Amino acid sequence: MEFKAHFKRKRKSFYNFNKHAAFPICEYKGILNGLAVEVVNTEQASIASLHDNGGYGKGSMSRGGPISGNPHETLLLGLEEACLLAYFLEALEISDLAGNTLSWTGFLQVALEYDTQFVYKLAAYLYLKAKNWIIKSGIKFGGDFLIYKQGPSHFHASFLVIVQNPSNDNSSHFVAKNLKGVQRVAETSDKDVLLLNVKQTQEFNPLLVTRETLSALTIEETVIRRFNYTSFVQSKQKQ
Amino acid sequence: MSGALASVIEIQTKNSYLSAAELIVHRHAEVESPRIGLKRTNVEGSAAEQEELQHAYANLRSVLSTRRIERHTGRAIAEWHKDQQAAEVLRKDGKFESFGFNRQGKLYLEYYEALFLLELNRLQLEYCQMIVSVEQAYLLLLGEESSEKYNNYLVYSALSRAGYIVVRHQTACQDAPTISVKSAAAPSSEDCIWALLEETISNKPAPEYIKASHYYVTAQSRMADLKLQIVNQTHPSVEDNSLKEDFKFDTRKRRAQSEPKEDAATKRVKTRNTESLIDNLKTEPNYTKFKEIFERFDIVQLQQDDYDVTEDYSDLRNLNISFDLHLHNEGFRRSAPKAPTFSVVIVATDEPFPTHNEMIKCQRQQHSILSISSPTAGAPPLLVISVSESKQIQAFLYYMS
Repeated sequence: MEFKAHFKRKRKSFYNFNKHAAFPICEYKGILNGLAVEVVNTEQASIASLHDNGGYGKGSMSRGGPISGNPHETLLLGLEEACLLAYFLEALEISDLAGNTLSWTGFLQVALEYDTQFVYKLAAYLYLKAKNWIIKSGIKFGGDFLIYKQGPSHFHASFLVIVQNPSNDNSSHFVAKNLKGVQRVAETSDKDVLLLNVKQTQEFNPLLVTRETLSALTIEETVIRRFNYTSFVQSKQKQ
Repeated sequence: MSGALASVIEIQTKNSYLSAAELIVHRHAEVESPRIGLKRTNVEGSAAEQEELQHAYANLRSVLSTRRIERHTGRAIAEWHKDQQAAEVLRKDGKFESFGFNRQGKLYLEYYEALFLLELNRLQLEYCQMIVSVEQAYLLLLGEESSEKYNNYLVYSALSRAGYIVVRHQTACQDAPTISVKSAAAPSSEDCIWALLEETISNKPAPEYIKASHYYVTAQSRMADLKLQIVNQTHPSVEDNSLKEDFKFDTRKRRAQSEPKEDAATKRVKTRNTESLIDNLKTEPNYTKFKEIFERFDIVQLQQDDYDVTEDYSDLRNLNISFDLHLHNEGFRRSAPKAPTFSVVIVATDEPFPTHNEMIKCQRQQHSILSISSPTAGAPPLLVISVSESKQIQAFLYYMS
């Protein structure tokens, strides 16, 4: 029962993936509006390039990348990806609505107000990103993230990621009804449900976390797959 | 119907016999309940609905009251022993290889096996010299109070029908006593040879009661002689009869023993997996090109499983392994089961699914049990089977970092 991830290529994979970089090639400025970090398109720093090189953000007037052609279209970055771009890659400067540049602690404060689980989701995000996945919001499938090989325009998402952490009630996913529900939704589109269980040490405090102390968090992976016992036994009998 | 009408009755009974052609048609009649349209959930109370319902009931009745034809004496007979919660097989019919267990030379069926065979019309169950109906059997075998027995039966039945050999989960510890009960009375020459072979092949020391037998020493020396003969390629000039028999025995056993060993070795690799499941993309050109940048934020790591860490495992649920699954074409033998293909954990409707750590704990417990009896064997993968509210069965496999 070796585990093999699903990689399902999309039919019209129209541009060459390998000519793009995995990380932004210029610097951007963004405004934290409470929900997301909004990046405005400029001559020097095009938001289309930010989206193409690494698959960050979503166009405010498009389904995926900013392709509407509307000059007022902005790129909306999720909190985790904005955090990665700003504080780990230093390719983004985040300011609040008043125009003051936000530091790591300032950003963390706002992010935790919006989402108390932010630190754990950030940990999961970094964990996945360091493994070269393109990460998008998983809200349309009822999870935290969707992760893609090369990006949504090339492959279907391979996993629906659900982040579990020590502070919230992490058993809710294991209620039979919930697990089967998520499983079924994911399975119809050839995905696996990946459970990332974030573990922390005793002294870890999510409110005072720094980039360095994030390493106190570790992750356990679980994939639960439905198993067709009938076809398994039949395939074994044919051999 | 009084005496005056006796002749009429006689004619009726004669008519109720079926002709040979009818018998054959009736014998394998496949009955399926009609399913038309969408499932409706609300009662309308209309006249049309009433009529439809009556029609459906009439239909059901006619289906249920058709004659069921079967061969006379085509069923096994077993007697239910309430005190032992097992059915003693009084007459076998057909193959019983994957059913039942031996106790003091008698074959017994577990409650789920008896019920399964009863449902398939392969068994006539008796209780207090009375034949038990299917409905009565449900009450008798599964008990009147709700218990895990019903779920066990459902899972057993579904998996058996799917084509697995389903047996009660055997831990190595349970294994030993069953052997000793079987042959405790007086170990025969055969038992000594089997024990000796197990000793040489899987390093399992021969039990004391076997060593005490007077056959043991002779069997041991004879085997040593044979081994010498095989090694030196010499043939004894005189071969007595008993020696020949033992020799045959020897080769057969050796073949059977070597197979599960290989199996287990491959399986062990599967169950222990401390690597990430999602590292596939690290070989992409994009990763190698930007490796340094990727490593800059590679801060959060995979939880490394430490064997020494005795964490808070004690307050985790203990998963209960109910069954072992074997495949038909792998030469299953009840007396000497090999490593199963799967072990089954049943999750009831209101129970949560096992978590990562609960699964790990369960696997480790299995490992530790196995490593005592035969260090080469690995634990089979755990199959988590959930029984839903509507009594549907779904199997799940866990893959863990």
